[in-house]
Amino acid sequence: MTQHLNEDDLYRTSSQYRLWSFSPEGLAALRRKTHELAITRASQYATKSNSYDGQGGAAVDCLTSEECLRLVQRYLDQVRTTSDHFKWPIPVKATAVQYLARFYLSNSPLTYPPKEIYKTVLFLACKTEATHMTLSEYARRISTPADEVLAPEYKVMQALRFTLDVRQPYRGLKGVLMELLNLAEGRVGEAEGVETGGAKALQAEMQALEMPPKTAQTMWRVKPAGKIESKDQMDRINAAYSAARTILDGPALLTDAYFLFTPPQILLAALHLADEPLTSFYLRTKLPLDSDLRPKILTTIAACAELLDSFSGSHILSKDERAALEQKLEGCRDPSTRDLVGSHAVAKRGGDGGEEAEEKARKKKAAREKHLKEGPAHSPVAKSSSLASG
Amino acid sequence: MSRIAPPKVMPVYKRDPRTGVVQSQDDVCPVCKSARYMNPSLRFLVNPECYHKMCESCVDRMFSHGPAACPIKGCGRTLRKHRFREQTFEDIKVEREVDIRKKVGATFNRREEDFETLLAYNDYLNDVEDITFNLINGIDLEETNKKFEAYTRAHGKEIEENAQMAVQERQSFSAAQKLERQQARERREAARREEEEEKREVEENRRDVLNRLASGADAETVAKEGQRVQLKKRMDRQAATERQRQLQAAEDAHSECNNKFVIKGLKTKQKPAPEALVDPFGGLRLVDSYFTLQDDYIWEGIQEARKDVKQTAGGYDVRDYAHRSLVAAFSGLGVFVADEITQRDQLAQKDGVVGEDVGLKDAEMIHAP
Repeated sequence: MTQHLNEDDLYRTSSQYRLWSFSPEGLAALRRKTHELAITRASQYATKSNSYDGQGGAAVDCLTSEECLRLVQRYLDQVRTTSDHFKWPIPVKATAVQYLARFYLSNSPLTYPPKEIYKTVLFLACKTEATHMTLSEYARRISTPADEVLAPEYKVMQALRFTLDVRQPYRGLKGVLMELLNLAEGRVGEAEGVETGGAKALQAEMQALEMPPKTAQTMWRVKPAGKIESKDQMDRINAAYSAARTILDGPALLTDAYFLFTPPQILLAALHLADEPLTSFYLRTKLPLDSDLRPKILTTIAACAELLDSFSGSHILSKDERAALEQKLEGCRDPSTRDLVGSHAVAKRGGDGGEEAEEKARKKKAAREKHLKEGPAHSPVAKSSSLASG
Repeated sequence: MSRIAPPKVMPVYKRDPRTGVVQSQDDVCPVCKSARYMNPSLRFLVNPECYHKMCESCVDRMFSHGPAACPIKGCGRTLRKHRFREQTFEDIKVEREVDIRKKVGATFNRREEDFETLLAYNDYLNDVEDITFNLINGIDLEETNKKFEAYTRAHGKEIEENAQMAVQERQSFSAAQKLERQQARERREAARREEEEEKREVEENRRDVLNRLASGADAETVAKEGQRVQLKKRMDRQAATERQRQLQAAEDAHSECNNKFVIKGLKTKQKPAPEALVDPFGGLRLVDSYFTLQDDYIWEGIQEARKDVKQTAGGYDVRDYAHRSLVAAFSGLGVFVADEITQRDQLAQKDGVVGEDVGLKDAEMIHAP
């Protein structure tokens, strides 16, 4: 009873597909709900504090959902910079950014300001992606006390629903690179159902490919007078690869691409932006012309490419804007989550039950000491035996 | 005032060389109180009726004129002289238990082949052990004895058949053993005879050669002839033994079971069917549908890894890396997140389940401090 799974079935078993994939409307709805809940809470504790002060119910100036998003995005970028500062490999970076993004799907910056969370997230990612650094070393290099790094960790895990695997496009991009280089060399591993003319024909087709358009992100531009040689082909492929990699490093992580698309779609979209004729050629060798998935796949890749293209570095908050937003946040943030370190320590001790246990332990100790001091002769049992022998 | 207890006299234990029974100097017959000190040849007998021991002389005295009551105080059971016997075990309880087991075993003598399933056989054994236990410890004696008799009445014939089979088996087993020993003896004899023959022949040959030489024949021709004769004799002998062996084999073919080495009690077991190979993936197979793995990729990363001894010495195949990269490149290409997730949410709503129920609901986490 053999059950055959293809690669798509494999992806459908991942937690990223099951829990962290959304339609655009679904994503927006989720964010809206999170923000509304945060706002309700904000108004609750605002009225509480106002009643203490005796002032009237002045409307609290909270961050709008747009501002929240931008603040989170700013810290996604901050995570990227910090990971580069540590010189960690790119999977750590991508994982950390995605953890932060996922965290803020179900929590709001009003409750947990990203400034206190992003270091924890990065530490968690370095542990998950097998580039572990000791906590003391990490805390030292990032100039933060170690308990501040550890305190929000459990909340982050809860927000992540304990699913720590982030499927990334980087390894897949390497695979595509390998295949393209082999195609240029005249070797092909045919996909089933695809009608190609054979290896030699594909090689010729590749050589006859048109130049990348002006808008392409790849650095490669052919010398106008020269004929395409195989070395030029390799250069073209490598240039396309590095351009795609840069796109994956930046825009892909800082947009909602990971929530709305799958890693292969993201990487092919990045490649599409880098060198469109090359990508179309490649997809022609992969997807059979008569399959009904083919047009859908192509439109999805195009949509993802649009999303990646629409991002620009200027969207990210500048330092001053960030400072301004954070000041505003100070005024309206949830006061109960202010002392994360303290609440973490309480939770570790065992919560409120810990205090009662301490009381009992103290009482027992006092009783024991008293008993030792006065001696066993004062206990009722000893008294009766001494009477009998007497 | 404290009393110092007198030092205890350790009884002297001796083992009777003839019967092997451990005797101690102060063994006393409970009936006539005669000690071994006075009669060194004191022997105790025991009756399986009540397991009370008495000296031989008491038994002779009391029970020679027919059955009488047991003289031990409190036990009045009628005992017969012929049932008295020497105690085999030191512990009288063990003796009693062994007797009971023998009795039960004589009645409940079914075999494993008689049962359809192992479970049925084990249940039977369990019941038999229950009965035995009850009899030994005197629990529910009436009921147990009734069960016993009921079984005996119901299956009397089968019990007898089984007993007969056991007896026959034992006989055939001893017969087979005897045959084995006889054959071994014969083989040894034959070997010895062969050796003697050889020695005799060598002697004869030497004498013959000497005679010939003495009578003046040519030395060389005599030597050659002598060798030829010797060789011929050896060949003949080998042919003869070969023929003998063939005859024996033919004989064996007729009486096959005589030559088998019989072990008593061996069941004809069927070899269990060979276990199916364990499939570590439980029937799942990953199929590459978007690509076919090639043997070699010219990308320099792969080429370098292939040449690097540190990578390949342990048996690592770089194609694993290539395969994994390509699977990662395509796993999810045909998955349309927006449509599939919307569909799933709609279905979930219809069923009434709110989304993915993993325990924590997303929206509620904001309230968790």
